[in-house]
Amino acid sequence: MELLERAPVELKNAFLRVLGSLGVPEGMLAILSAVLIIGTVIGVFLGLFALMSVMERKILARVQNRYGPNRAGPFGLFQPVADGIKMLTKEDLVPRAADKVVHFLAPVVMMVPALLVLAILPYGRDMVPVELESGILFFFAVGAGTEVAIFMAGWASNNKYSVLGAMRAIAQMISYEIPLVISAVTAAMIAGSLSPSVIVAAQGGFAAGFLPHWFVTTPWGFTAALLFYIGALAESNRSPFDLPEGESELVAGHLTEYSGFKYATFFMAEYIGMFAICGMFVTLFLGGWQAPLPFLTVVPSWIWFFGKVCFVAFTMVWVRATLPRLRVDHLLAFAWKFLLPMSFAAFLSAACWHYAGRGPAAWFLSLVVVGIPYLVLGLSFTSRFSVSRRTYLFSE
Amino acid sequence: MICESLKTCFDDPGKFLGEWFVLLPALVLLLAAAAAVVLRNLIHATLCLTLSFIALGILFIALGAEFVGFVQLLVYVGAVAMLIVFAILLTRPERLAKSDTALSGLGPAGGALAGFVTLGVLLGFLFTSPIAKKSLPGPASAPVAEIGHALMGDYKAALIVVGVLLTAALVGAAVLAMEDKNS
Amino acid sequence: MTLQILLALSAILFAFGLAAILSRSNAIMILIGIELMLGAANLNFIAFWRFSGNPSDLTGVLFAIFSIAVAAAEAAVGLAIIILVHRRIQSVEVDDASNLKG
Repeated sequence: MELLERAPVELKNAFLRVLGSLGVPEGMLAILSAVLIIGTVIGVFLGLFALMSVMERKILARVQNRYGPNRAGPFGLFQPVADGIKMLTKEDLVPRAADKVVHFLAPVVMMVPALLVLAILPYGRDMVPVELESGILFFFAVGAGTEVAIFMAGWASNNKYSVLGAMRAIAQMISYEIPLVISAVTAAMIAGSLSPSVIVAAQGGFAAGFLPHWFVTTPWGFTAALLFYIGALAESNRSPFDLPEGESELVAGHLTEYSGFKYATFFMAEYIGMFAICGMFVTLFLGGWQAPLPFLTVVPSWIWFFGKVCFVAFTMVWVRATLPRLRVDHLLAFAWKFLLPMSFAAFLSAACWHYAGRGPAAWFLSLVVVGIPYLVLGLSFTSRFSVSRRTYLFSE
Repeated sequence: MICESLKTCFDDPGKFLGEWFVLLPALVLLLAAAAAVVLRNLIHATLCLTLSFIALGILFIALGAEFVGFVQLLVYVGAVAMLIVFAILLTRPERLAKSDTALSGLGPAGGALAGFVTLGVLLGFLFTSPIAKKSLPGPASAPVAEIGHALMGDYKAALIVVGVLLTAALVGAAVLAMEDKNS
Repeated sequence: MTLQILLALSAILFAFGLAAILSRSNAIMILIGIELMLGAANLNFIAFWRFSGNPSDLTGVLFAIFSIAVAAAEAAVGLAIIILVHRRIQSVEVDDASNLKG
């Protein structure tokens, strides 16, 4: 098991040793090592993307009581290959009135931040591609590039649906980024560091022999995790926050004028970005690569990390299958009037928890501190809508 | 040859920093800033401005101020550039692709002249000043923890003032841009 | 490399910003010029901190952080004013907003 835990790193080292004995210079080996790490991370996430693109359709189909893709290969598993071939062979259309250069650059700009943020996630014990002191800040700073890309795509298409989609996307991403960052800062504050690996390390160990010290098990952590999850849904433009590309209103939003490989690039960047933000969620609140129970620590840490990421991604698909799309003014009001004050409450609650000694008493204190704003805000937010009782005419 | 120079950059980041890592973003910064000023199309100018913000952030990181570089990217690219874009889209929706701007009474010649005069004065002082001849000292870094301690210690008054300022600006901007319900 | 290169870069950036402010009549272009000048000032703070030979004195870095925060506030209020002016006079040209009676 110890061997399996170190397997990815040892494999790379063995490969480099073989190359070194063949007379490859030292400086070249350092670069090769970096290339191997980058290639592995990108390869794994591309594989996850391919798997997700078919699993999402399968899960949605399961929820909606149909089969989903099942023609290409066993259980439809070769569907991504078929999709890829279809995308690559399609004609690449550029509207005559489009701003050609910006139209071409938008998918490239979209891809760069999606891949860059993968560099700082801790994939396993001592398995961080780049150990950055301010990794969380890096994640959000680089992630801001996505907004620029979406705007470029929407504006360069010179199509009113595209521009409207891009404007909605920017308004939504700016609004939801604030609760997202504040809830992330809450976890960083308790861990005392902006480095993802330190935050994961702070969530190690078990209370009473079986309860993991993950931040999600505390009242403030649970609140912050929920806020982060909602913000993550909005940041990756997923249902119920998929207004920017809501097909019933805006055709496909900023993607309307994209086809062929450029569309595939956008699609890929969106999914990789989603996995990256799921990875950040797991790192901040679900204990990163830590095992959930003491006797399960024998399973390699990177399996735990990717297992949790896949689970969070699955819940995102589940949410998409369950919830209807929000209206645009409700969406922004929800961010500014509910999520933002709640993220401040979670922040305050975390501070109370820390200064009350992090024990059971602190647990209840932070529950009170986060519970009162929740009740007040929730009541004031829902009292404006009168919900009539649903009556079922033709079923019990 | 390339392999050797890359090796030195891994062994001695300071040397690499002096040669490449500063000059490349500096070049991008200059070109993007020039384009942002010269371009007639407002959206293109804003996109070039965004590029120059990114180059400036990378320059900060290359100079060892990692935290400031990331803050620069987060605030300028994520917020300021997007705000400018939003203002452009809100103020001239009727001409999407052709949002060219007019020139003021002073004209490009006057503006360029003023710019050159300022530049001349600044560079004149710069090339006669002994301080500017300083060469690069050893590697420097600004650890996040120390920045945090400084913010919560010596600079706590400034931090509170900035917090109040940002709150006031947020509320003020919201009130200013709010639809006038009476009219 | 000497401090001169960075200071010259910052001076050029400042001159660009100034030229933009003086030659453009569009309020948004003026704001872009102001942002460039602020960027030049931040570059100076970081450059002097880097070349001070005493990197543990974080004044330059902290000044840059505060300056970025103030610039963010300035951009938000400036753009709100531009949107308000546009709503009143249907123009973002500063020459059009010359009526004192409002």
